[in-house]
Amino acid sequence: MKIVTRSFLRYLPRRFSLSLLQLLGVACGVAAVVGMTLAARTALTSFAQAVEFLRGKATHSIQRPAGPMSEGLLTKLAHDSAVEWFSPAIDRRLRLGHGELVRLLGIDPFLDRTIRPELSRVRTSETRSSHPETAFSFLLDDRAVLVDRDLAAELGLTVGQRIETLKGSLLVTGTFPNPSGEPLILMDIAHAQKLYGLEGQVDRVDLILSNESAFRSRWKDGFLIQSGRQRSGTFSAMLDAYRLNLEALSLLALFVGIFLIYNTAMFAVVSRRRDAGILRCLGAKRYEIVVAFLTEILILGVIGGALGGLIGYFLTRLLTGLIGSSISNLYFFLRPEPPAWSYWILITGIFLGFAASLLGAFVPLVELIRTDPVKALSGRVGSGQNVRKARKTAVAGLCVLAASVILLIPRKAHIYVSFTGIFGIVVGVSLLTGVALVQLSPALKWILYRLGKLPGKVAAGNIRQNLGRTGVAIAAFMVALSMSIGLGSMIGSFRQSLIWWMDTQIRADLYVGKIDEAEVPEDFYEELQKIPGLGGVHPYRNVQVMYGDTPVYVSAIDASVLQRYTRFGWLSGGNENWEAVKRGGVIISESFSRRFGVQSGDTIVLQGIHGPTAFSVGAIFYDYTTEHGLVMMDRLTFLHVFGDRTINNVGIFIDPNNPRREDLLSLVKQKARERGLPVVTQAGLHASILDVFDTTFAITRSMRAIAIVVAFFGIAGALLTFFMERRREFGIYRALGFSTGQVARLTLLEGLGMGMVSYLLSLVVGTLLAVLLINVINLRSFHWTIFFHPAFEPYVLTAVTAIMASIGAAVYPIWKVWRTYPQMQIREE
Amino acid sequence: MVQPIIRIVDLWKDFGGDGTFSPALRGTNLEIKSGEIVALFGKSGSGKSTLFNLIAGLDHPTRGRIEVDGQDLVALGEKGRTGLRRSRLGFVFQFFNLLPTLTAFENTFLSLELADRPDPVVALTALKEVGLQGKEHRYPHELSGGEQQRVAVARAMVKRPSIILADEPTGNLDTTTGDQILRLLTHRCRESRTTLMMATHSPLTCRYATRVLQMVDGLILEEASCQEFNR
Repeated sequence: MKIVTRSFLRYLPRRFSLSLLQLLGVACGVAAVVGMTLAARTALTSFAQAVEFLRGKATHSIQRPAGPMSEGLLTKLAHDSAVEWFSPAIDRRLRLGHGELVRLLGIDPFLDRTIRPELSRVRTSETRSSHPETAFSFLLDDRAVLVDRDLAAELGLTVGQRIETLKGSLLVTGTFPNPSGEPLILMDIAHAQKLYGLEGQVDRVDLILSNESAFRSRWKDGFLIQSGRQRSGTFSAMLDAYRLNLEALSLLALFVGIFLIYNTAMFAVVSRRRDAGILRCLGAKRYEIVVAFLTEILILGVIGGALGGLIGYFLTRLLTGLIGSSISNLYFFLRPEPPAWSYWILITGIFLGFAASLLGAFVPLVELIRTDPVKALSGRVGSGQNVRKARKTAVAGLCVLAASVILLIPRKAHIYVSFTGIFGIVVGVSLLTGVALVQLSPALKWILYRLGKLPGKVAAGNIRQNLGRTGVAIAAFMVALSMSIGLGSMIGSFRQSLIWWMDTQIRADLYVGKIDEAEVPEDFYEELQKIPGLGGVHPYRNVQVMYGDTPVYVSAIDASVLQRYTRFGWLSGGNENWEAVKRGGVIISESFSRRFGVQSGDTIVLQGIHGPTAFSVGAIFYDYTTEHGLVMMDRLTFLHVFGDRTINNVGIFIDPNNPRREDLLSLVKQKARERGLPVVTQAGLHASILDVFDTTFAITRSMRAIAIVVAFFGIAGALLTFFMERRREFGIYRALGFSTGQVARLTLLEGLGMGMVSYLLSLVVGTLLAVLLINVINLRSFHWTIFFHPAFEPYVLTAVTAIMASIGAAVYPIWKVWRTYPQMQIREE
Repeated sequence: MVQPIIRIVDLWKDFGGDGTFSPALRGTNLEIKSGEIVALFGKSGSGKSTLFNLIAGLDHPTRGRIEVDGQDLVALGEKGRTGLRRSRLGFVFQFFNLLPTLTAFENTFLSLELADRPDPVVALTALKEVGLQGKEHRYPHELSGGEQQRVAVARAMVKRPSIILADEPTGNLDTTTGDQILRLLTHRCRESRTTLMMATHSPLTCRYATRVLQMVDGLILEEASCQEFNR
């Protein structure tokens, strides 16, 4: 290895603690990206595998636009010349006794073996020999089920044992291989119909068609026919906004990681300036210095990247579960398994670390190439030059800001453009940090002097004089703190908006039944209606339908009850908007309106059982049920158009002044219990919605934390570099009479000072970020309005984080001061 | 007529910015013959280091011409000037300027590697010639000031340059050590007929110089002897 390169690389082990800090910073940034990307990809792959597995050999599926369909149609399907094979299915969720939610598929075992041959590889005993009694019990016993092998192993179940569920105990008569990874239970379709109260009905029929166009021409009215690709596309489309935001989060983490590498590279440039000057004097070419410098940075990047890949893999195990839960709560059932270890994860981490190093080191490299050896040796790359450089950088920052604002202006711009604009704003503001620090220096000096007297004054001066180092560390920390404030404010505002929304719409005293788990039989609904004294009995149905090629949701409600008992948040108008619904019109959610450009007074067309049906839009309301869009209509209208009598839940409203209020509530609960139906109070439902919300944003919170950790390493690295390169200066302090305690205080105040400046700048940037996330990103990703609710919490939490991180970053340098300061002397070399 | 190894004609260097005029060199003229050992005296700020940086091609003159070994430095271009420093020029600094992460041997060997003549034996011999045999594997912080300057001398001499520029080579050393360094440096230069130019405050240097110059306010004056500086 060339000695020029060796002279640079020897700094790595020599300054081991600093190298370690820098390495860990890179590793954390890479880990965040690897973890998030891998988790998201695992979830989506799992979803794709599950869809593929469940689709089997079916080319198409047919179902009603909403709700189950009569099994009487099976005869017609059997006689349709375009149908080569068909298999009806009940596709529902089942909550197990210990709380886990799994998919239950009701199938006709004879018809289904052509569509899903894998499911027919049933093992009915622990030995290879089959037991005829057990095999037939699947057909004969109405509580018999087959369980996928992974689920059975997880629950410790064997053939003949019972599995407890909220619909009673079920008998395990066999297991089957399930390559999709999604927990699955199979039941004979007739027994599944009985279990879910769907006698005479099926959810859909999976088909193998020989002539799609002919089939569609015969069945187009009143049915939804989807090819396998369309079905996958439907599911995929539902995840679009969510996936995009996950990608943005991981890119944000990478950005902070790249910033840290830039930070690291800048430190290296400043530290190596003198060495570079000596080498240039001795005749080293610029490219030799570049190679040496790049080798050092790339080693950190590659090792950090490898470590990051490893940490990212473990992070994936946490994030996969979180993402799966979120998707299941918000969209459709998904339980992805964490990915198996692969050396590609390590290679990906190395590649990311390598690429991030190149990107982060680019600007510092240009600076190193341009280093004037004369000035470098004389040490006159001093404050004047740093301030000039900071001004030039600020000009570049202003240009980036201007370009970013331009990107954010067009309302109909693609969401990627909006994300680019936000990143640009963060980068642009980072470039202004140096100038901001210069302007804030007098105030910083005043504060630090109040805190620490003379050491404080010296600390403020040091921060200002070493702009090349401190500016970059402060910028990186500021970005992380701004993310914390921005995301915290956005999440807080969203939460408050959600609470407001729940207060407008979810106002029943009790809710009987649970969507996708426990439907309410219609006769029970009628029984509840007959209870005297109840203010309102509200049947609710929520179902996914297609609006063109796009999945949206339709809710069936009782307009009279909601008009009386709720306070919907309308974009315009008030409760008089319900009159349109009572007359057969619809109201739409804000996300539907924005997504499809539909306004009040417009007409929309939905496919019902009688074919396309037009609806007049009466009003638009604020809604957070789904970002895909919600159409709300009266139950009578819904029954006429879709023929679906399913009731997902029933809301019970009781006038607050009713003296029999408590008795009535108890009566309803008792009746529901007798029917085996879950009951939840208004407060309980609000709480569970907020739980879902908090779980969904757990991922965002974890990214916030990682960004703070990465930036912490930046501050810690800056302080340690300060210490290492100022031994001569410490010798002067000692010669002048500074005590060890004073120098330790000085080091602490340097850290605190940088943290303070970072926090101060993040107040502005973080608030701006929150406003942009709420008014731009959320609006353009999810098409709904979040109301900005300024709160102290994100600011206070971030302040505490800034202080603790600054103090934490100073701990090691302070320890080094206590250990080594008493021996320090002024030595020229 | 033998061409001078260094030739400077009407050299100006102005560091003033923002419209101010602050020349470090004011139309300096100089010719140094090959093999001469020149002592350049001058107070701080008189322009000695500026002159050395210009001769080494590390800085650019505002006006004037510099020829080193018959080549116009401006015309050489950056690549040519780098090549000059690699193979024809040696540097000895006041504050030694050894690379802290390299051993004495590696600091010396670096010169040979840059000159594309990587021969460890030559490097070891150079260290032996400056009296550092047995200390090849020590790092700069493990050596005394005098030892570090010896390494710097070895580093400069090892590639057999035509010219050595020594900027205050004894400025950071005590009198005895400084004298030893001067003796070593001038002796090695005489042996190899290397031209040596030393910027200095120390009257000791006079003893070893064949020619004495004084720098005053950016101009070079020829002095006959060192008596002026010994007073």
